[in-house]
Amino acid sequence: MSKMTTNPQLQRFLPWVLPLVLVLAWSLISSRELIPTYLLPHPQQVLVAGFDYILGDPQKGIYTGRFLGDFSASIGRVLLGFALATIIGLPLGLLSGRLNSIQLLLGSTLNALRAVPGICWLPLALIWFGIGLKTTVFLVALAAFFPIFLNAEAGARQINPTMIQAGTMLGMNRRRRIYRVLIPAAMPHIVTGLRLGMGISWAYLVLGELTGVPNGLGAVIMDARMLGRNDIIIVGIILIALIGRLCDTGLHLLLRLFFKSARRLT
Amino acid sequence: MSRSHLQIIHPRQDLVTEPVILEVKGLTKRFTSDANEQISALKDLSFRVAQKELVCLLGRSGCGKSTLLKLLAGFIKPSAGNIFFHGDPLHHAGPACCMVFQEDALFPWLTVRENIAFGLTNLPLNRRQKQYEVDRFIDLMGLNGFGDYLPREISGGMKQRVALARVMILKPRILLMDEPFGALDAQTREQMQSLLQELRRQFAPTILFVTHDVNEALLLGDRILLFDKNPGRISHDIKIDLPKTRTMNNEAFLRLRTRIKELLKDK
Repeated sequence: MSKMTTNPQLQRFLPWVLPLVLVLAWSLISSRELIPTYLLPHPQQVLVAGFDYILGDPQKGIYTGRFLGDFSASIGRVLLGFALATIIGLPLGLLSGRLNSIQLLLGSTLNALRAVPGICWLPLALIWFGIGLKTTVFLVALAAFFPIFLNAEAGARQINPTMIQAGTMLGMNRRRRIYRVLIPAAMPHIVTGLRLGMGISWAYLVLGELTGVPNGLGAVIMDARMLGRNDIIIVGIILIALIGRLCDTGLHLLLRLFFKSARRLT
Repeated sequence: MSRSHLQIIHPRQDLVTEPVILEVKGLTKRFTSDANEQISALKDLSFRVAQKELVCLLGRSGCGKSTLLKLLAGFIKPSAGNIFFHGDPLHHAGPACCMVFQEDALFPWLTVRENIAFGLTNLPLNRRQKQYEVDRFIDLMGLNGFGDYLPREISGGMKQRVALARVMILKPRILLMDEPFGALDAQTREQMQSLLQELRRQFAPTILFVTHDVNEALLLGDRILLFDKNPGRISHDIKIDLPKTRTMNNEAFLRLRTRIKELLKDK
């Protein structure tokens, strides 16, 4: 059943191979000037720009020392949108997975909406909410809603009926069953949905911020393009990748911390 | 043939003399098939069960034994007929009438201890009392040292011990067992059978025990209800007058077994 296992040393080493090879290739290409620097800056230049962007003195340049401000703006938007998607998507998904009537009521409409690429909502969102926080949060919430809803629904639907029966027989009323049987039993799916939702939140954050908001990691990327600072663009991309990864790990850790079922089943 | 150990009567008559705990009257359950036909899983079933009795429901698969247990547990509603529990109609599923499932139905996110303690949440017991009860049942079921294991980490036999413990701790008046030892190897099954007998001595619950194993029914039962198929109904109600401690290689046992196997073959 399990995959072929590799020895532990190799296991720690393998994930780093690809990034190292990429950086090495990048250095080589830049040193030999195979690609002009206005298209692809030298890694060293990116490193310096990144250092300045994160730790530099804000007085000294346009991008120096901006990181903390951009980061807090972006993470606030992501968390707000993600929270909205969770608050609406999770209960609705669980309900839809358990109750046929809810599934019939919501299923086809939501599936039709899901087929619309999230980016299509951008123009409408701009008209409704203008440029800024609201549009971004709306896009993030909308995009994160679907994986969260669909996975919660699948999780609630696949529960072995004897689980529910066992809960009833052991004296749990409807409300208690939700917290003591339904949610724990659906937890692996719920965790998957939330993690996918978190991932897509970052994608849509950048989309929302590309529209010309003054701050945020997506805004910096777009801004840097205008000024031809491709080193800053790459810094932004790397930072978003890292922060997205950290958010995913953090989310998983929090779920495992607070829920026995997440700890033991995922 | 000697009739001393075998008393087979028409199911409409009654063998029950003790106080009746469970009465089933005209119980019928129909399902709608995929082809939109009405299928009777159970048709016009009537019987009574005395307190502390262990009644084995014996028959081939598909004869509605499991459906009957689900009806008794209150998981599904009958199409017609009534179930009386101490003379009162059965309203909803709950801990008075508990089921031990055939398959593994433990909560996989809870440890053995937590599974056993699950039903205690609703009872007016403080933490220490709950802990004491759980410890007692862990000991009683031979689960010592396994308290902190998760269900996926223990064997099938151990799982069924936990399944039994989590309902017995609630002291159900009726215990419904749906082929609880069917998936176990012979040796483990024997251990579980003697454990069940020990539980009967200590707690004297009324037990309805579904099985398709004639030996098991004869080893455990005070009474056997033989089931017919299509539609599911009781064909024979058999009182077993064997001594309390039974072995499979005594003459009376073997005679009874031969007779029951013949009755099953006739179907």
